[in-house]
Amino acid sequence: MSVKPQDEFDRKAWLQEQDLTHLETIYLKILIYFDTRFRLVDYLEMMESLYYKANLQMPKSHTEQYNLDNKFWYWYPLYSLGLLTLLAYIVAAVSGALLGLYYAPSAEGDPSTAYSQMIFIMDELDFGLMLRSIHRWAAQFMVAAVFLHMLRVYFTGAYKEPRELNWVIGVILLILTIAFGYTGYLLPWNQLSMWAGQIGLEMALASPLIGEWLAQLMFGGFEVGQPALMRMYIVHVFLFPFIVTGLIIVHIGIVWMQGIAEPH
Amino acid sequence: MTDDTDQTRTDGSGPNIVPPDDETPTWHERKERSEGLSRVTYEYFERGRLEDQRLRQDSDYIERDVLGFPTWPHETIRNLSIASFFVGIIIALSATLPPHFGDEADPSVTPEIIVPDWYLYPAFGLLQLDPINPELALLGGEKLMSDELYGIAATTVVIGVLFIYPFVNKGSARRPIEEPFWAAVGMGGLMFGFTISVLSIDQIVADRMPGLTAPLIFDLTLLLPLVTAFITYAVLKAMQEGYMYELNRRYYRLRPPR
Ligand code: HEM
Repeated sequence: MSVKPQDEFDRKAWLQEQDLTHLETIYLKILIYFDTRFRLVDYLEMMESLYYKANLQMPKSHTEQYNLDNKFWYWYPLYSLGLLTLLAYIVAAVSGALLGLYYAPSAEGDPSTAYSQMIFIMDELDFGLMLRSIHRWAAQFMVAAVFLHMLRVYFTGAYKEPRELNWVIGVILLILTIAFGYTGYLLPWNQLSMWAGQIGLEMALASPLIGEWLAQLMFGGFEVGQPALMRMYIVHVFLFPFIVTGLIIVHIGIVWMQGIAEPH
Repeated sequence: MTDDTDQTRTDGSGPNIVPPDDETPTWHERKERSEGLSRVTYEYFERGRLEDQRLRQDSDYIERDVLGFPTWPHETIRNLSIASFFVGIIIALSATLPPHFGDEADPSVTPEIIVPDWYLYPAFGLLQLDPINPELALLGGEKLMSDELYGIAATTVVIGVLFIYPFVNKGSARRPIEEPFWAAVGMGGLMFGFTISVLSIDQIVADRMPGLTAPLIFDLTLLLPLVTAFITYAVLKAMQEGYMYELNRRYYRLRPPR
Protein backbone atom coordinates (compact mmCIF):
# COMPACT_ATOMS: atom_id res chain seq x y z
CA MET A 1 0.00 0.00 0.00
CA SER A 2 1.35 3.35 -0.88
CA VAL A 3 0.56 6.76 0.40
CA LYS A 4 0.44 9.62 -2.02
CA PRO A 5 2.53 12.51 -0.87
CA GLN A 6 0.35 15.49 -0.16
CA ASP A 7 1.09 19.10 0.33
CA GLU A 8 -1.07 19.99 3.29
CA PHE A 9 -0.36 23.64 2.97
CA ASP A 10 -1.07 23.48 -0.74
CA ARG A 11 1.79 25.73 -1.61
CA LYS A 12 1.06 25.50 -5.33
CA ALA A 13 -2.39 26.97 -4.99
CA TRP A 14 -1.07 29.62 -2.70
CA LEU A 15 1.54 30.51 -5.27
CA GLN A 16 -1.13 30.82 -7.97
CA GLU A 17 -3.17 33.21 -5.87
CA GLN A 18 -0.33 35.60 -5.37
CA ASP A 19 0.24 38.46 -7.73
CA LEU A 20 3.93 38.04 -8.35
CA THR A 21 6.61 39.15 -10.73
CA HIS A 22 8.49 36.55 -12.68
CA LEU A 23 11.54 36.91 -10.44
CA GLU A 24 9.52 36.55 -7.26
CA THR A 25 7.87 33.40 -8.58
CA ILE A 26 11.21 31.79 -9.36
CA TYR A 27 12.56 32.81 -5.98
CA LEU A 28 9.55 31.40 -4.14
CA LYS A 29 9.67 28.17 -6.09
CA ILE A 30 13.29 27.63 -5.13
CA LEU A 31 12.50 28.52 -1.54
CA ILE A 32 9.55 26.13 -1.44
CA TYR A 33 11.67 23.40 -3.00
CA PHE A 34 14.17 23.62 -0.17
CA ASP A 35 11.61 24.30 2.52
CA THR A 36 9.66 21.16 1.72
CA ARG A 37 12.86 19.20 1.99
CA PHE A 38 14.73 20.82 4.85
CA ARG A 39 11.94 22.57 6.77
CA LEU A 40 13.79 25.84 6.58
CA VAL A 41 10.97 27.53 8.42
CA ASP A 42 11.99 25.78 11.64
CA TYR A 43 15.49 27.18 11.47
CA LEU A 44 14.17 30.58 10.58
CA GLU A 45 12.01 30.59 13.66
CA MET A 46 14.92 29.47 15.77
CA MET A 47 17.12 32.27 14.47
CA GLU A 48 14.36 34.78 14.91
CA SER A 49 13.74 33.90 18.52
CA LEU A 50 17.49 33.86 19.19
CA TYR A 51 17.80 37.30 17.66
CA TYR A 52 14.98 38.82 19.66
CA LYS A 53 16.03 37.18 22.87
CA ALA A 54 19.52 38.55 22.47
CA ASN A 55 18.08 41.97 21.86
CA LEU A 56 15.88 41.85 24.91
CA GLN A 57 18.47 40.44 27.26
CA MET A 58 21.40 42.62 26.33
CA PRO A 59 21.93 44.98 29.24
CA LYS A 60 23.50 48.35 28.81
CA SER A 61 27.14 47.70 28.12
CA HIS A 62 29.88 48.63 30.49
CA THR A 63 31.23 51.18 28.05
CA GLU A 64 27.89 52.92 27.92
CA GLN A 65 27.22 52.65 31.62
CA TYR A 66 30.40 54.36 32.68
CA ASN A 67 30.75 56.60 29.69
CA LEU A 68 34.05 55.12 28.63
CA ASP A 69 33.43 55.81 24.97
CA ASN A 70 36.31 58.21 24.63
CA LYS A 71 38.79 55.72 26.10
CA PHE A 72 37.40 52.82 24.12
CA TRP A 73 37.13 54.38 20.70
CA TYR A 74 40.56 55.90 20.96
CA TRP A 75 42.10 52.43 20.97
CA TYR A 76 39.49 50.89 18.74
CA PRO A 77 41.57 50.74 15.53
CA LEU A 78 43.90 48.37 17.33
CA TYR A 79 41.01 45.95 17.76
CA SER A 80 41.20 45.21 14.05
CA LEU A 81 44.65 43.62 14.35
CA GLY A 82 43.18 40.13 14.82
CA LEU A 83 41.22 40.53 11.63
CA LEU A 84 44.31 41.80 9.82
CA THR A 85 46.21 38.71 10.96
CA LEU A 86 43.49 36.55 9.50
CA LEU A 87 43.51 38.50 6.23
CA ALA A 88 47.27 38.20 5.87
CA TYR A 89 46.96 34.48 6.59
CA ILE A 90 44.38 34.09 3.84
CA VAL A 91 46.50 36.03 1.33
CA ALA A 92 49.53 33.91 2.23
CA ALA A 93 47.49 30.71 1.92
CA VAL A 94 46.19 31.56 -1.54
CA SER A 95 49.54 32.73 -2.92
CA GLY A 96 51.25 29.77 -1.23
CA ALA A 97 48.89 27.30 -2.87
CA LEU A 98 49.77 28.83 -6.26
CA LEU A 99 53.51 28.76 -5.52
CA GLY A 100 53.14 25.12 -4.55
CA LEU A 101 52.17 24.28 -8.11
CA TYR A 102 55.70 25.11 -9.30
CA TYR A 103 57.95 24.30 -6.36
CA ALA A 104 59.65 20.95 -5.82
CA PRO A 105 61.18 20.03 -2.45
CA SER A 106 64.38 18.37 -3.54
CA ALA A 107 67.92 19.17 -2.48
CA GLU A 108 69.36 16.82 -5.12
CA GLY A 109 71.21 18.06 -8.16
CA ASP A 110 73.47 21.02 -8.79
CA PRO A 111 71.99 23.52 -8.40
CA SER A 112 69.43 21.70 -6.32
CA THR A 113 65.98 21.20 -7.78
CA ALA A 114 64.38 23.34 -5.07
CA TYR A 115 66.76 26.20 -5.81
CA SER A 116 66.38 26.01 -9.57
CA GLN A 117 62.61 25.84 -9.27
CA MET A 118 62.76 29.05 -7.25
CA ILE A 119 64.88 30.63 -10.00
CA PHE A 120 62.36 29.37 -12.54
CA ILE A 121 59.46 30.87 -10.58
CA MET A 122 61.20 34.21 -10.27
CA ASP A 123 62.69 34.57 -13.74
CA GLU A 124 60.51 32.68 -16.19
CA LEU A 125 57.11 32.05 -14.72
CA ASP A 126 54.62 34.76 -15.63
CA PHE A 127 53.77 36.72 -12.54
CA GLY A 128 56.05 34.36 -10.58
CA LEU A 129 58.21 36.98 -8.92
CA MET A 130 55.08 38.86 -7.90
CA LEU A 131 53.58 35.68 -6.51
CA ARG A 132 56.61 34.93 -4.38
CA SER A 133 56.77 38.54 -3.32
CA ILE A 134 53.14 38.54 -2.23
CA HIS A 135 53.59 35.30 -0.31
CA ARG A 136 56.58 36.64 1.55
CA TRP A 137 55.11 40.02 2.35
CA ALA A 138 51.86 38.46 3.49
CA ALA A 139 53.83 36.18 5.82
CA GLN A 140 55.78 39.14 7.21
CA PHE A 141 52.56 41.08 7.74
CA MET A 142 50.95 38.14 9.46
CA VAL A 143 53.76 37.76 11.97
CA ALA A 144 53.88 41.49 12.61
CA ALA A 145 50.11 41.64 13.06
CA VAL A 146 50.16 38.67 15.47
CA PHE A 147 52.73 40.40 17.67
CA LEU A 148 50.81 43.66 17.67
CA HIS A 149 47.53 41.84 18.26
CA MET A 150 49.04 40.18 21.31
CA LEU A 151 50.24 43.55 22.61
CA ARG A 152 46.80 45.07 22.18
CA VAL A 153 45.28 42.12 24.06
CA TYR A 154 47.86 42.55 26.83
CA PHE A 155 47.50 46.28 27.30
CA THR A 156 43.71 46.29 27.16
CA GLY A 157 43.63 43.49 29.72
CA ALA A 158 41.50 41.40 27.37
CA TYR A 159 43.11 38.13 28.52
CA LYS A 160 41.45 38.15 31.92
CA GLU A 161 38.71 35.83 33.06
CA PRO A 162 36.74 34.38 31.09
CA ARG A 163 39.23 34.74 28.22
CA GLU A 164 42.33 33.01 29.62
CA LEU A 165 41.85 29.97 27.43
CA ASN A 166 41.73 32.12 24.34
CA TRP A 167 44.99 33.72 25.39
CA VAL A 168 46.55 30.26 25.73
CA ILE A 169 45.27 29.28 22.29
CA GLY A 170 46.70 32.60 21.12
CA VAL A 171 50.17 31.80 22.48
CA ILE A 172 50.05 28.45 20.67
CA LEU A 173 49.05 30.31 17.50
CA LEU A 174 51.95 32.73 17.99
CA ILE A 175 54.44 29.88 18.25
CA LEU A 176 52.91 28.10 15.27
CA THR A 177 52.99 31.29 13.19
CA ILE A 178 56.69 31.75 13.89
CA ALA A 179 57.38 28.09 13.20
CA PHE A 180 55.39 28.45 9.98
CA GLY A 181 57.72 31.25 8.97
CA TYR A 182 60.81 29.25 9.92
CA THR A 183 59.82 26.18 7.91
CA GLY A 184 59.03 28.41 4.94
CA TYR A 185 62.39 30.17 5.23
CA LEU A 186 64.14 26.83 4.63
CA LEU A 187 62.30 25.93 1.45
CA PRO A 188 64.20 28.05 -1.17
CA TRP A 189 67.31 26.10 -0.17
CA ASN A 190 69.74 28.96 -0.49
CA GLN A 191 72.66 29.67 1.81
CA LEU A 192 70.58 31.40 4.48
CA SER A 193 67.96 28.64 4.40
CA MET A 194 70.47 25.92 4.93
CA TRP A 195 72.37 27.64 7.70
CA ALA A 196 69.17 28.62 9.45
CA GLY A 197 68.37 24.93 9.29
CA GLN A 198 71.78 24.21 10.79
CA ILE A 199 71.05 26.44 13.78
CA GLY A 200 67.69 24.77 14.24
CA LEU A 201 69.32 21.36 14.14
CA GLU A 202 71.90 22.37 16.73
CA MET A 203 69.17 23.66 19.01
CA ALA A 204 67.21 20.46 18.62
CA LEU A 205 70.31 18.42 19.43
CA ALA A 206 71.04 20.52 22.52
CA SER A 207 67.67 19.77 24.12
CA PRO A 208 68.08 17.53 27.12
CA LEU A 209 67.10 13.85 26.90
CA ILE A 210 65.05 14.03 23.71
CA GLY A 211 67.67 15.93 21.68
CA GLU A 212 68.65 13.21 19.23
CA TRP A 213 65.14 11.95 18.89
CA LEU A 214 63.93 15.49 18.18
CA ALA A 215 66.62 16.03 15.57
CA GLN A 216 65.64 12.77 13.88
CA LEU A 217 61.99 13.72 13.97
CA MET A 218 62.34 17.23 12.65
CA PHE A 219 65.41 17.09 10.45
CA GLY A 220 65.54 13.42 9.55
CA GLY A 221 69.12 13.02 10.67
CA PHE A 222 72.09 14.85 12.12
CA GLU A 223 72.86 17.03 9.15
CA VAL A 224 70.75 19.37 7.11
CA GLY A 225 70.00 17.78 3.76
CA GLN A 226 67.29 16.28 1.63
CA PRO A 227 65.39 14.65 4.56
CA ALA A 228 65.31 17.96 6.43
CA LEU A 229 64.03 19.83 3.38
CA MET A 230 61.35 17.22 2.79
CA ARG A 231 60.17 17.39 6.38
CA MET A 232 60.07 21.16 6.42
CA TYR A 233 58.07 21.04 3.20
CA ILE A 234 55.48 18.61 4.56
CA VAL A 235 55.16 20.58 7.78
CA HIS A 236 54.86 23.87 5.89
CA VAL A 237 52.33 22.87 3.26
CA PHE A 238 50.41 20.08 4.95
CA LEU A 239 50.64 19.86 8.72
CA PHE A 240 50.66 23.51 9.78
CA PRO A 241 47.95 24.74 7.40
CA PHE A 242 45.49 22.29 8.95
CA ILE A 243 46.48 22.92 12.54
CA VAL A 244 46.70 26.70 12.25
CA THR A 245 43.45 27.01 10.28
CA GLY A 246 41.67 24.84 12.83
CA LEU A 247 43.05 26.79 15.78
CA ILE A 248 42.18 30.13 14.19
CA ILE A 249 38.61 28.91 13.70
CA VAL A 250 38.42 27.85 17.36
CA HIS A 251 40.06 31.12 18.48
CA ILE A 252 37.68 33.35 16.56
CA GLY A 253 34.75 31.09 17.44
CA ILE A 254 35.51 31.66 21.12
CA VAL A 255 35.72 35.41 20.54
CA TRP A 256 32.35 35.14 18.85
CA MET A 257 30.85 33.31 21.79
CA GLN A 258 32.38 35.50 24.49
CA GLY A 259 32.24 38.84 22.77
CA ILE A 260 35.02 41.41 22.63
CA ALA A 261 36.27 42.44 26.06
CA GLU A 262 35.46 45.98 26.98
CA PRO A 263 37.76 48.11 29.08
CA HIS A 264 36.84 48.10 32.73
CA MET B 1 -8.78 -1.87 3.52
CA THR B 2 -8.94 -4.60 6.14
CA ASP B 3 -5.65 -4.03 7.89
CA ASP B 4 -6.57 -0.52 9.00
CA THR B 5 -7.18 -1.26 12.63
CA ASP B 6 -4.20 -3.14 14.00
CA GLN B 7 -1.19 -1.88 12.09
CA THR B 8 0.93 1.19 12.10
CA ARG B 9 0.57 2.82 8.73
CA THR B 10 3.19 4.36 6.52
CA ASP B 11 1.69 7.84 6.79
CA GLY B 12 2.42 7.82 10.50
CA SER B 13 -1.02 7.10 11.91
CA GLY B 14 -2.16 3.89 13.53
CA PRO B 15 -3.24 2.36 16.81
CA ASN B 16 0.05 2.79 18.67
CA ILE B 17 0.77 6.31 17.56
CA VAL B 18 -0.22 9.10 19.92
CA PRO B 19 -0.61 12.42 18.15
CA PRO B 20 1.05 15.34 19.94
CA ASP B 21 -1.44 17.38 21.93
CA ASP B 22 -1.54 19.29 25.17
CA GLU B 23 -1.13 16.10 27.14
CA THR B 24 2.21 15.33 25.57
CA PRO B 25 4.96 16.11 28.09
CA THR B 26 7.04 19.14 27.16
CA TRP B 27 10.81 19.12 27.12
CA HIS B 28 10.93 20.50 30.64
CA GLU B 29 8.49 17.97 31.98
CA ARG B 30 10.39 15.11 30.42
CA LYS B 31 13.66 16.36 31.82
CA GLU B 32 12.20 16.90 35.26
CA ARG B 33 11.11 13.31 35.32
CA SER B 34 14.49 11.97 34.24
CA GLU B 35 16.99 10.50 36.65
CA GLY B 36 20.70 10.32 37.20
CA LEU B 37 23.08 12.36 35.09
CA SER B 38 20.48 13.86 32.81
CA ARG B 39 18.48 14.96 35.84
CA VAL B 40 21.55 16.68 37.29
CA THR B 41 22.32 18.33 33.99
CA TYR B 42 18.76 19.57 33.72
CA GLU B 43 18.78 20.98 37.23
CA TYR B 44 22.10 22.71 36.64
CA PHE B 45 20.99 24.47 33.49
CA GLU B 46 17.57 25.24 34.88
CA ARG B 47 19.16 26.87 37.93
CA GLY B 48 21.40 28.96 35.67
CA ARG B 49 18.44 29.99 33.57
CA LEU B 50 16.40 31.06 36.58
CA GLU B 51 19.37 32.90 38.01
CA ASP B 52 19.79 34.80 34.75
CA GLN B 53 16.13 35.63 34.72
CA ARG B 54 16.21 36.87 38.29
CA LEU B 55 19.30 38.99 37.64
CA ARG B 56 17.70 40.52 34.63
CA GLN B 57 14.51 41.32 36.50
CA ASP B 58 16.32 42.82 39.46
CA SER B 59 18.79 44.77 37.40
CA ASP B 60 18.34 48.50 37.07
CA TYR B 61 20.31 48.53 33.86
CA ILE B 62 18.57 50.21 30.99
CA GLU B 63 17.50 47.62 28.47
CA ARG B 64 18.61 48.35 24.96
CA ASP B 65 16.33 48.01 22.02
CA VAL B 66 19.19 48.17 19.53
CA LEU B 67 22.11 45.77 19.84
CA GLY B 68 24.78 47.72 18.02
CA PHE B 69 25.52 49.07 14.61
CA PRO B 70 23.62 47.53 11.74
CA THR B 71 25.76 44.97 9.94
CA TRP B 72 24.91 46.54 6.63
CA PRO B 73 26.14 49.05 5.72
CA HIS B 74 28.19 50.14 8.76
CA GLU B 75 30.11 47.03 9.73
CA THR B 76 30.31 45.58 6.24
CA ILE B 77 31.66 48.72 4.62
CA ARG B 78 34.15 49.22 7.44
CA ASN B 79 35.39 45.65 7.19
CA LEU B 80 35.57 45.78 3.41
CA SER B 81 37.54 49.00 3.47
CA ILE B 82 39.95 47.72 6.12
CA ALA B 83 40.40 44.49 4.18
CA SER B 84 40.98 46.08 0.80
CA PHE B 85 43.30 48.70 2.26
CA PHE B 86 45.39 46.07 4.04
CA VAL B 87 45.57 43.64 1.13
CA GLY B 88 46.31 46.63 -1.10
CA ILE B 89 49.32 47.53 1.03
CA ILE B 90 50.61 43.95 0.84
CA ILE B 91 50.30 43.91 -2.95
CA ALA B 92 51.80 47.37 -3.39
CA LEU B 93 54.80 46.42 -1.25
CA SER B 94 55.18 43.14 -3.13
CA ALA B 95 55.26 44.98 -6.41
CA THR B 96 57.80 47.55 -5.28
CA LEU B 97 60.04 45.53 -2.98
CA PRO B 98 60.51 41.97 -4.22
CA PRO B 99 62.27 39.70 -1.72
CA HIS B 100 65.96 39.09 -1.65
CA PHE B 101 67.21 35.78 -2.99
CA GLY B 102 70.60 34.49 -1.88
CA ASP B 103 73.16 32.09 -3.29
CA GLU B 104 72.62 28.40 -3.56
CA ALA B 105 73.01 26.30 -0.40
CA ASP B 106 76.60 25.15 0.04
CA PRO B 107 77.49 23.12 3.14
CA SER B 108 81.21 23.78 2.66
CA VAL B 109 80.97 27.57 2.86
CA THR B 110 79.79 29.22 6.06
CA PRO B 111 78.29 32.61 5.30
CA GLU B 112 79.79 35.53 7.18
CA ILE B 113 76.56 36.44 8.86
CA ILE B 114 73.76 33.99 9.45
CA VAL B 115 70.49 35.73 10.18
CA PRO B 116 67.02 34.29 10.27
CA ASP B 117 63.91 36.33 9.42
CA TRP B 118 63.34 39.27 11.74
CA TYR B 119 60.65 37.57 13.82
CA LEU B 120 63.15 34.94 14.90
CA TYR B 121 65.60 37.56 16.19
CA PRO B 122 64.27 37.35 19.75
CA ALA B 123 64.68 33.56 19.84
CA PHE B 124 68.05 33.92 18.12
CA GLY B 125 69.08 36.56 20.63
CA LEU B 126 68.20 34.33 23.57
CA LEU B 127 70.80 31.91 22.22
CA GLN B 128 73.43 34.59 22.70
CA LEU B 129 72.96 35.11 26.39
CA ASP B 130 75.92 32.83 27.09
CA PRO B 131 77.93 35.51 28.93
CA ILE B 132 75.46 35.19 31.79
CA ASN B 133 75.36 31.42 31.64
CA PRO B 134 76.54 30.65 35.18
CA GLU B 135 79.91 28.96 35.49
CA LEU B 136 80.13 26.75 38.49
CA ALA B 137 83.30 26.95 40.53
CA LEU B 138 82.37 23.51 41.78
CA LEU B 139 82.84 22.07 38.33
CA GLY B 140 86.12 23.90 37.95
CA GLY B 141 84.67 26.73 35.88
CA GLU B 142 82.71 24.33 33.73
CA LYS B 143 79.33 25.48 32.60
CA LEU B 144 76.42 23.46 33.87
CA MET B 145 74.53 23.81 30.64
CA SER B 146 75.82 24.13 27.13
CA ASP B 147 75.18 27.57 25.65
CA GLU B 148 72.57 26.16 23.29
CA LEU B 149 70.75 24.45 26.14
CA TYR B 150 70.91 27.71 28.06
CA GLY B 151 69.27 29.44 25.10
CA ILE B 152 66.58 26.79 24.92
CA ALA B 153 65.95 27.14 28.64
CA ALA B 154 65.62 30.92 28.27
CA THR B 155 63.16 30.50 25.38
CA THR B 156 61.16 27.99 27.40
CA VAL B 157 60.97 30.42 30.29
CA VAL B 158 59.70 33.22 28.05
CA ILE B 159 57.07 31.01 26.44
CA GLY B 160 56.10 29.55 29.81
CA VAL B 161 55.58 33.03 31.24
CA LEU B 162 53.34 33.89 28.28
CA PHE B 163 51.31 30.74 28.89
CA ILE B 164 50.68 31.17 32.59
CA TYR B 165 50.35 34.93 32.48
CA PRO B 166 46.52 35.17 32.61
CA PHE B 167 46.48 32.76 35.53
CA VAL B 168 48.92 34.90 37.48
CA ASN B 169 47.50 38.36 36.84
CA LYS B 170 43.89 38.00 37.90
CA GLY B 171 41.25 40.50 38.92
CA SER B 172 38.96 42.62 36.85
CA ALA B 173 41.18 45.65 36.23
CA ARG B 174 41.63 46.20 32.54
CA ARG B 175 43.38 49.46 31.93
CA PRO B 176 47.14 49.82 32.43
CA ILE B 177 46.58 52.81 34.69
CA GLU B 178 44.75 50.66 37.18
CA GLU B 179 47.67 48.23 37.43
CA PRO B 180 50.90 50.17 36.95
CA PHE B 181 52.96 47.16 37.99
CA TRP B 182 51.67 44.86 35.28
CA ALA B 183 51.81 47.62 32.70
CA ALA B 184 55.46 48.09 33.68
CA VAL B 185 56.05 44.36 33.27
CA GLY B 186 54.50 44.59 29.82
CA MET B 187 56.55 47.58 28.71
CA GLY B 188 59.71 46.00 30.11
CA GLY B 189 58.95 42.79 28.26
CA LEU B 190 58.30 44.70 25.06
CA MET B 191 61.59 46.55 25.43
CA PHE B 192 63.38 43.27 26.15
CA GLY B 193 61.89 41.81 22.97
CA PHE B 194 63.39 44.72 21.10
CA THR B 195 66.81 44.76 22.75
CA ILE B 196 67.24 41.00 22.57
CA SER B 197 66.52 41.27 18.83
CA VAL B 198 69.22 43.89 18.50
CA LEU B 199 71.56 41.63 20.47
CA SER B 200 71.00 38.83 17.98
CA ILE B 201 72.40 41.01 15.21
CA ASP B 202 74.88 42.91 17.38
CA GLN B 203 77.73 42.46 14.88
CA ILE B 204 75.79 44.19 12.12
CA VAL B 205 74.55 46.91 14.44
CA ALA B 206 78.02 47.52 15.85
CA ASP B 207 79.40 47.84 12.31
CA ARG B 208 76.75 50.32 11.25
CA MET B 209 76.74 52.43 14.41
CA PRO B 210 80.24 53.29 15.54
CA GLY B 211 79.12 54.35 19.04
CA LEU B 212 77.77 50.94 19.89
CA THR B 213 80.16 48.14 20.68
CA ALA B 214 79.11 44.54 21.20
CA PRO B 215 79.68 44.53 25.00
CA LEU B 216 77.77 47.79 25.32
CA ILE B 217 74.86 46.31 23.38
CA PHE B 218 74.90 43.36 25.73
CA ASP B 219 74.70 45.56 28.80
CA LEU B 220 71.96 47.68 27.27
CA THR B 221 70.00 44.52 26.47
CA LEU B 222 69.58 43.80 30.14
CA LEU B 223 69.48 47.40 31.35
CA LEU B 224 67.05 49.14 29.00
CA PRO B 225 64.07 46.89 29.83
CA LEU B 226 64.53 47.60 33.53
CA VAL B 227 64.72 51.33 32.89
CA THR B 228 61.63 51.21 30.68
CA ALA B 229 59.67 49.28 33.28
CA PHE B 230 60.70 51.71 35.98
CA ILE B 231 59.72 54.78 33.97
CA THR B 232 56.38 53.22 33.01
CA TYR B 233 55.66 52.46 36.63
CA ALA B 234 56.58 55.95 37.79
CA VAL B 235 54.54 57.70 35.10
CA LEU B 236 51.45 55.57 35.63
CA LYS B 237 51.62 55.93 39.39
CA ALA B 238 51.76 59.68 38.98
CA MET B 239 48.81 59.69 36.62
CA GLN B 240 46.82 57.25 38.65
CA GLU B 241 45.57 59.50 41.40
CA GLY B 242 43.63 61.99 39.34
CA TYR B 243 42.42 59.33 37.00
CA MET B 244 41.06 56.99 39.62
CA TYR B 245 39.40 59.93 41.31
CA GLU B 246 37.45 60.74 38.16
CA LEU B 247 36.56 57.10 37.65
CA ASN B 248 35.39 56.54 41.19
CA ARG B 249 33.36 59.70 41.18
CA ARG B 250 31.55 58.65 38.05
CA TYR B 251 31.08 55.17 39.42
CA TYR B 252 29.64 56.21 42.74
CA ARG B 253 27.37 58.77 41.16
CA LEU B 254 25.84 55.99 39.12
CA ARG B 255 25.66 53.43 41.90
CA PRO B 256 25.82 55.16 45.29
CA PRO B 257 27.20 52.93 48.05
CA ARG B 258 24.45 51.57 50.26
C1 HEM C 1 46.98 33.43 13.93
C2 HEM C 1 46.94 34.29 14.86
C3 HEM C 1 45.69 34.99 15.42
C4 HEM C 1 44.50 35.31 14.80
C5 HEM C 1 44.08 35.06 13.36
C6 HEM C 1 43.68 35.96 15.80
C7 HEM C 1 42.41 36.48 15.57
C8 HEM C 1 41.67 37.15 16.52
C9 HEM C 1 40.50 37.96 16.25
C10 HEM C 1 39.90 38.21 14.87
C11 HEM C 1 40.06 38.45 17.44
C12 HEM C 1 38.87 39.40 17.63
C13 HEM C 1 39.29 40.70 18.28
C14 HEM C 1 40.42 41.42 17.61
O1 HEM C 1 40.51 41.36 16.38
O2 HEM C 1 41.25 42.01 18.31
C15 HEM C 1 40.92 37.92 18.47
C16 HEM C 1 40.78 38.17 19.83
C17 HEM C 1 41.64 37.69 20.82
N1 HEM C 1 42.90 37.16 20.61
FE1 HEM C 1 43.60 36.59 18.81
N2 HEM C 1 44.38 36.01 16.99
C18 HEM C 1 45.61 35.44 16.80
C19 HEM C 1 46.63 35.32 17.72
C20 HEM C 1 46.51 35.63 19.07
C21 HEM C 1 47.60 35.67 20.02
C22 HEM C 1 49.07 35.42 19.69
C23 HEM C 1 47.05 35.98 21.24
C24 HEM C 1 47.72 36.15 22.59
C25 HEM C 1 48.72 35.52 23.02
C26 HEM C 1 45.62 36.13 21.06
C27 HEM C 1 44.72 36.39 22.07
C28 HEM C 1 43.44 36.87 21.85
C29 HEM C 1 42.48 37.18 22.89
C30 HEM C 1 42.69 36.99 24.41
C31 HEM C 1 41.36 37.70 22.25
C32 HEM C 1 40.08 38.21 22.91
C33 HEM C 1 40.25 39.72 22.99
C34 HEM C 1 38.99 40.45 23.37
O3 HEM C 1 37.99 39.80 23.63
O4 HEM C 1 39.05 41.69 23.38
N3 HEM C 1 45.34 35.94 19.72
N4 HEM C 1 41.91 37.15 17.88
